Amino acid sequence: MNSKLSERPVEIVMIEDDDGHARLIEKNIRRAGVNNPITPFASGTEGINYLFGADGSGLVNKGRPLLVLLDLNLPDMTGVEILGRIKTNEHLKRIPVVVLTTTDDAIEIQRCYDLGCNVYITKPVNYDSFAHAIRQLGLFFSVIQVPAPD
Amino acid sequence: MRLQPILLGIGFAILIGMSGATAWLVQHATEDARLVNHSVVVQGKLSNVLLNVRRAESGQRGYLFTARPAYLEDFTPAETLATQLVAEVRALTADNPLRQRELDQIAASIAAKFAEMKRVMAFRAAGEEERARVEVLAGQGRRLMNTVREQIDAAIADEAQLLNERGLQSRNTDQLLLAVTLLGAAFIIIIGAVSISLVQRSTRKAEIARQELEGTNNNLERIVQFRTADLTEANNEIQRFAYIVSHDLRSPLVNIMGFTSELETLRADIFDRIATLTAEIAALNGQAAEAESKTEQLGADFDEAIRFIKSSIGNMDRLINAVLKLSREGRRQFHPQTVDMRALLDQIAQTVSHRTMELGARLDIDALPQVESDQLALEQIFANLIDNALKYRRSDVPLHIRVHGRVNANQAIYEVEDNGRGIDAGDHQRVFELFRRSGKQDSPGEGIGLAHVRALVRRLGGTMELKSELGQGSTFTVILPLQWSVNARNAA
Repeated sequence: MNSKLSERPVEIVMIEDDDGHARLIEKNIRRAGVNNPITPFASGTEGINYLFGADGSGLVNKGRPLLVLLDLNLPDMTGVEILGRIKTNEHLKRIPVVVLTTTDDAIEIQRCYDLGCNVYITKPVNYDSFAHAIRQLGLFFSVIQVPAPD
Repeated sequence: MRLQPILLGIGFAILIGMSGATAWLVQHATEDARLVNHSVVVQGKLSNVLLNVRRAESGQRGYLFTARPAYLEDFTPAETLATQLVAEVRALTADNPLRQRELDQIAASIAAKFAEMKRVMAFRAAGEEERARVEVLAGQGRRLMNTVREQIDAAIADEAQLLNERGLQSRNTDQLLLAVTLLGAAFIIIIGAVSISLVQRSTRKAEIARQELEGTNNNLERIVQFRTADLTEANNEIQRFAYIVSHDLRSPLVNIMGFTSELETLRADIFDRIATLTAEIAALNGQAAEAESKTEQLGADFDEAIRFIKSSIGNMDRLINAVLKLSREGRRQFHPQTVDMRALLDQIAQTVSHRTMELGARLDIDALPQVESDQLALEQIFANLIDNALKYRRSDVPLHIRVHGRVNANQAIYEVEDNGRGIDAGDHQRVFELFRRSGKQDSPGEGIGLAHVRALVRRLGGTMELKSELGQGSTFTVILPLQWSVNARNAA
């Protein structure tokens, strides 16, 4: 059974407060040929509500193929907190989380990997590099394996 | 405190006074003793006068009895002696008119006595024994003798009184001497006591002042510590601020740049569409050439706008990166170690060797003192300074850069000297400010090199100086502490 992201209906959940960035990320991912649905959220709260459901248990997304694209600098909470909650949730802990943020602080990076983040990418300042990085991420998405449902 | 010299002066004055008084009194006592002695001598001589008169008299008696000339041998020298003694006493008491008068009388009486004795002896010598006997019986000789004795006794008594007075005076002088000595000693003891108490008091005051000073010092140190902590905190705040601001500025910039790129990619589609539409309209109206040139003009304007936007974004991006770099540098932890500055500068010279060769420039590095500091920071500092010297050279003069150093007290002083275009005196401060540059802007740069260098030097606990004259070259001086101190890391 093939469980490559690009070949399965994996939904990309993007938590990114900057609309412009969200749009550019989406465009560049698409340019890499990734056509999976992307669900954007502009705040941590909205993202959490979507991922964990109304009861907050995460049961709603149990076994659903998801990938989280997470920004760390959010207006209402830090992405680190969201990452921690996902990785400690029984139903969501296997969801691949890609941290995509401006911070390249070594301690922050360490902390994210400690919490179980799968990929940490620093948004390049320069747009060309930014676009390039996102496209590569898109290419990367097309080859990574996501866990098969139970 | 000011009483001390006064007391000392008084003490010395008393000592001098006492010494003077003592010397005077001792001299006085000597004089007194001499006078006492003098009186005793006078008394002795006067007694001798009487003795000799009596001796002459007893000689005379013997002669009268026996008529033997042997008795004259007693008589004759006694007269000479008596007269001589009277003369001696007269000389001794020349200063005493009373004694002189008494001596006049005594001399007269003695002369009368001797005249009488000689007269009677003359009778005896002539064989007139009876006549001599009658003369003696008449008692004139005895009366004369009594007069002589009384007068001499009176003179001796007078002299005794004088002696008594002089003895008394001598004792007085001695007592005075003793009193002055004791009084002086007492004064000196009192002054000594007062001085000691004053010294003790001033010592106590000094001790109190010392303790106060110590307290103030401690306090000052605490204040300095507080201030340093405040400054460090403020500095960290600025670093964080710079970091956050540069980060937050980046996000919208990515959008601006991103969507500008999107516009650019859209451009081809838009203009193709416009071209197609214009062509269709032109075909309908028959004015193809004109429409085409208009479309081209629009395209040029569009491209120009995009170009300006992109170049501005590029500038802003560089500035933000510069701030970010500075703030990142500001948070870097230093690793102090002993740095061989000569080797460090040689390394930098190696790195820029192709440029110096290209420019025909000379880069001389003298012997440089070692310093305990952060190697990487020092590399950045001197690489920046040398890079600046290479950049801002004069076109008409071959560039000559010289790096020299020396040690002054606990500081290492390094100078990077060039014969480049120099910096106007008005810009000496400005060149160290962020994003500020001076002179002809013909070299690329963000204007952060010197700001960065100065920030680094400050963080290393050092200072920077600039000597420069427009058109004459510049000398950048970096002054660093020879020994790394913990404060250097925390401050600045």
